[in-house]
Amino acid sequence: MPISRVLSVNRGEIAARVVRAAHALGIETVQAVSMADRESRAAQLADRTVVIGPAASRLSYLDANLLVHTALQTGCDALHPGYGFLSEREHLARLCDEHGIIFIGPAAETIAALGDKLKAKAIARAAGVPLVPGTERIATVNDAVKAGEELGYPVLIKASAGGGGRGMFIARGPDDIVASFDKASNEAMEAFGDGTMYMERYVENARHVEVQVFGDGSGKVLHFGERDCSIQRRYQKVFEEAPCAAMPPALRRQLHESAVNLVASLKYRNAGTVEFLYDIDRQAIYFIEVNARIQVEHPVSEQVTGYDLVQLQFQIAGGEPLRWTQDQIPVTRHAIECRLNAEDPYRNFKPSPGRITRWVPPQGAGIRLDSHCYADYLVPPFYDSMIGKLIVTAASREECVRRLQVALEKFVVEGLTTNLPLLKFIATHPDFAANQLNTRWLEQILLPAFEATQE
Amino acid sequence: MASSEKRKVTAEDIENLIEIFKQSSWDEMHLEADGLEIFLSNDPTATTPRTPAAAVPSAAMTNSAVANVVVPAAASVAASSTTLSHAAGGAGAPIPDGQVAIRAPNLGTFYRAPKPGAPTYIEVGQQIEVTTEVCLIEVMKLFTPVQSGLRGIVREIRARDGQMVEFDAVLIIIEPN
Repeated sequence: MPISRVLSVNRGEIAARVVRAAHALGIETVQAVSMADRESRAAQLADRTVVIGPAASRLSYLDANLLVHTALQTGCDALHPGYGFLSEREHLARLCDEHGIIFIGPAAETIAALGDKLKAKAIARAAGVPLVPGTERIATVNDAVKAGEELGYPVLIKASAGGGGRGMFIARGPDDIVASFDKASNEAMEAFGDGTMYMERYVENARHVEVQVFGDGSGKVLHFGERDCSIQRRYQKVFEEAPCAAMPPALRRQLHESAVNLVASLKYRNAGTVEFLYDIDRQAIYFIEVNARIQVEHPVSEQVTGYDLVQLQFQIAGGEPLRWTQDQIPVTRHAIECRLNAEDPYRNFKPSPGRITRWVPPQGAGIRLDSHCYADYLVPPFYDSMIGKLIVTAASREECVRRLQVALEKFVVEGLTTNLPLLKFIATHPDFAANQLNTRWLEQILLPAFEATQE
Repeated sequence: MASSEKRKVTAEDIENLIEIFKQSSWDEMHLEADGLEIFLSNDPTATTPRTPAAAVPSAAMTNSAVANVVVPAAASVAASSTTLSHAAGGAGAPIPDGQVAIRAPNLGTFYRAPKPGAPTYIEVGQQIEVTTEVCLIEVMKLFTPVQSGLRGIVREIRARDGQMVEFDAVLIIIEPN
């Protein structure tokens, strides 16, 4: 049944993106906002705005009951969770199901299965997807030390329920494990309510690659190519691009097949991303996790394939099948996205919320900006610091990099501090142009060089 | 005098203070200004160090707007409910001089009576006390009674029975006495 009215329950740029995609399909929109987001772009665009709670997200965007109550009371037949907040909480998906609201995302059981990292690995293994050598659950420091010997150092120790780097550390020897294991487990317990840890071999020279997939719930799955998101700081992506130009075609085929097989085994529904570690030295890929939502970096895949993935989310959720074949989704261009944040790259990335007094984004062929900001917009201090995503597209990576450099140079934001100087520095760095980098490049090479420009 | 227009302390101001407090390493925050007193503590059993004469016990605040904002954030607030609960400015018809609004402590469905067919909690013209229950707000079958938070005469009931009210919406207009 096609969706007629959707409740958008996220904020920032993705809420605006969701509202616009809905309108493009003739779907009415209700935007749920906190007190701090009443003046937001999504609130201005939506057909109706409802203040669901105070600024604190725990009492607004993170309260599933409030969201579903609002959906029911405003006559919505669907709910779009965006990314972050409750987008990957089984509870919200289930609550929607129970009240006849279409949750625009995977089935609740799928979210639950993939949300548990160890279960997700078991699913991947069963689907024949390569995994990085690692362990099952580890209960104690002693077990961790023993496992470290078997795997060979360095090892990565992670929280089973984790994400975003919390409860995670690298151990280069048994001493590191003894020093950090209990602390990380406690951190995981506090952040996720689950202190379960596991361990895997740490691949030092790696890229982060991920495959954009879509399923229609029948077992049919299509992919929309891969993204290279190797430029990260503290496990937060800063630049993302499509395709992964550094990957040879044979390995890319294996990557796509692995991703599709994994989610097809779950009869996956809606948008998802299968993340892999690309071991540059061994020329191998290892499954990391599935993100059961639309991701921040989805626009680069849209740019290189020509599909609108958020509109596709609405269509699939409304019961339409995937009516294409894989060869109708060729990747013909190159796209790079960078995340503009209200943070000070010279002061340890301290968030810098405030009022934007001047906002002049670059324009032109192959330049796209996904943002909720405008001149006189107040970036509230309560949430994520991302204020926009600049996406450039061109026929080749080389041309794309050049276009990105110009676009960043022309981007004017005044009134608050942004990471624009860092983005420019990355875009003009020779390693970036040569595509000679890995997941540690930003922290180990680029940032020290960037900081040196200050002295 | 309980004039909200002059005070200009909004629910948002309070939220901002709470946010600052949460991100700090402080154990307590105690602020007094203009007859307004705010006490934030990480100790759930803590009470105001010095309760102003006009203040109501913190237990009586449980269902008022500000208390609902604060309690789940692991901080406790005790303050003059007259000032805090009704100070926020907002959209809609203006509030007549000398009168104050009781606002929705959370989004939900507004009910004037404890159950269908039962007598309403309050009627226009009625004298109410600080702890008088004035309405019910329901979120997904969870019903929460809302207390007045101040003494006065009911002048207007703005929210409609059985309709959804947004967070901080004006529910009822009271003339304090």
